[in-house]
Amino acid sequence: MANPFEYNGSAVVGMIGSGCVAIAADRRLGIQGQTIATTFDKIYPMNESLYIGFYGLATDALTVSSRLKYQLNLYQLRENRQIKPKAFMHMTSNLLYSKRFGYYFVEPVIAGLDPVTKDPYIATMDLIGCPMETKDFVVVGTCSEQLYGMCESLWKPDLEPEDLFETISQALMNAVDRDALSGWGAIVHVIEKDKVTTRTLKARMD
Amino acid sequence: MADGTARVKGGFSFELCKRNEMLKKAGMKFPQPKKTGTTIAGIVFKDGVILGADTRATEGTVIADKNCAKIHYISKNIYCCGAGTAADTEYTTETISSDIELHRLSTGRKPRVATACRLLKQYLYRYQGHIGAYLVLGGVDTTGPHLFTVHAHGSTDKLPYVTMGSGSLAAMAVFESHYTPNMGVEEGKKLVRDAIAGGIFNDLGSGSNVDLCVITADGVDYIRPYDVANVKGERVGDYTYKRGTTAVLDTTVRHFEIVSERVQSTESMET
Amino acid sequence: MTEKYSFSLTTFSPSGKLVQIEYALQAVASGAPSVGIKAKNGIVIAVEKKQKSPLYENHSINKVEPINSKIGMVYSGMGPDFRLLVRKARKIAVKYEYTYHESIPVSQLVQKVAAVMQEYTQSGGVRPFGVSLLIAGFDEDKPYLYQCDPSGAYFAWKATAMGKNYINGKTFLEKRYNDDLEIDDAVHTAILTLKESFDGQMTEENIEIGVASSDGFSLLEPAVVKDYLAAIQ
Repeated sequence: MANPFEYNGSAVVGMIGSGCVAIAADRRLGIQGQTIATTFDKIYPMNESLYIGFYGLATDALTVSSRLKYQLNLYQLRENRQIKPKAFMHMTSNLLYSKRFGYYFVEPVIAGLDPVTKDPYIATMDLIGCPMETKDFVVVGTCSEQLYGMCESLWKPDLEPEDLFETISQALMNAVDRDALSGWGAIVHVIEKDKVTTRTLKARMD
Repeated sequence: MADGTARVKGGFSFELCKRNEMLKKAGMKFPQPKKTGTTIAGIVFKDGVILGADTRATEGTVIADKNCAKIHYISKNIYCCGAGTAADTEYTTETISSDIELHRLSTGRKPRVATACRLLKQYLYRYQGHIGAYLVLGGVDTTGPHLFTVHAHGSTDKLPYVTMGSGSLAAMAVFESHYTPNMGVEEGKKLVRDAIAGGIFNDLGSGSNVDLCVITADGVDYIRPYDVANVKGERVGDYTYKRGTTAVLDTTVRHFEIVSERVQSTESMET
Repeated sequence: MTEKYSFSLTTFSPSGKLVQIEYALQAVASGAPSVGIKAKNGIVIAVEKKQKSPLYENHSINKVEPINSKIGMVYSGMGPDFRLLVRKARKIAVKYEYTYHESIPVSQLVQKVAAVMQEYTQSGGVRPFGVSLLIAGFDEDKPYLYQCDPSGAYFAWKATAMGKNYINGKTFLEKRYNDDLEIDDAVHTAILTLKESFDGQMTEENIEIGVASSDGFSLLEPAVVKDYLAAIQ
């Protein structure tokens, strides 16, 4: 049997632009070679300007996302304010690290804007929650190497929302085209301070 | 967990172990956590200690992070470099940092390096090496400068110059040939830089920049980066896709009201 | 084993009162006076630290305690009870910071400390705390001042006084308080409030003052307190 990370197949990218962030994922759900669905969501909204996407075992992604949503709802009720993306990242990291010796097979990508300052934020972590914050892009997925290549060459600082959309979409689509396990459609969320634009993309379905 | 505040410190949850063991038996190949194939080092010099680290994090042979911070905060006068499993170094140092802070508040004294060392070794020994943190601990307290290494199984050494991580041999070669007692600050910084650079250029697990942390009785100078060993070239071409290139199936826009806004300047970009 | 037979000491009287809590408040009201004042750019908490005998080693007694770099706490009532709450508060603050990498908002700390105090009014084998707390801190860019009572009730104040003679203290503050106080003015007002009920000569040795500002929480050095006292005379 395969590696649990390659069981369902996925690709998720987060990118920072000028005053905005984008998070994108493919939409395939497979059981190894067999495609089960082409409209599967891998990105979950946590609040209006905070999203988390998962690479890895889909069943664990669902569990982790709902556990996080539960913790986050409690946080927001308790503190009567929206969580900062960084605090949310540490919440996620804590959850994954608490299972250090029996882990979830997921690697998350977090993208959002600070609820107060509106500063863009992206981060990722490994399966046991080692955080990694960057100021350009983060990638995870069965085609992470292709994604690294695409992002390293396409990304540049201070992309406007529209250009950020093209950049992240093309980075994702060209990467998944070289991966048998991911692809089959894609979804992109561009988060700005006053709106979130969600687009589904026309992609190769093979 | 019930109130969502936190896991109890050091309290791991083993609820998935059985499932994962079953998957392993069924022939699943297991992914490895992120390692910091690393070069970290430290020296004692005339007025204190200097810690150094490279900034590469790897996942297998892929470079996961080109500029990660491996010198972790323990207290105002103590810092700690980490090698090994990245998450373990991060959380071990953070846990001990919290304990030291509580200890500082209840004793009302400046924390001692030996205290941090003992807490670290006891914590790591308890987990019998399963927490893969290999550390270089340094700081200055009322009893002077101190430099320790802590291994994942809980053993420690106290030496005037130390190295750790996959690049430790390259770094130690530099120390063995050039270290002298009572070095000056600049001389010391240069030596640690050279040791880390030895790792960056000769060990594939180490790379990118050199971070330094100079700790003296007067305070801390955390220099990140101290040296950029490989400056990224300027990109000549522009590969930006024209707007409208991507074929979109459907678009939904969700607007929200801005209740309040505060503008803060951001730091400049670093790659 | 003991659980089965250990009832809470705090049980309702037929008239609906919890007399243990009222006794606890008595302990507070006969404790050393403390005062808290919110200024425009910070908060001042102060307390009387008079010893019964000149033979005491003064430095061994601390009544204003830092909880983390931004929050401080003081009390009126029983010292040993306070130390337990300080320990719990510090643990709460450190744990929050560990979890979210953000220092704990004052209101969250107060809520959690108050929850601890409430628990001691309803658990078996324990008694309520014999202290009221003043918790002062600065977060985001606003100053906060809270009082926590033995019942677990908590209040946000602009200024308040607790302990012996607290009614006079409060009346004094009502007269003196305004919204434009700077930290310096607040320190003065705090000292004057303590002076209302102070027996004998006030010195830098027998009062303690803590200040929370955007730079964090800190205790005023005796030398600084001395200067403030000199300015008043």
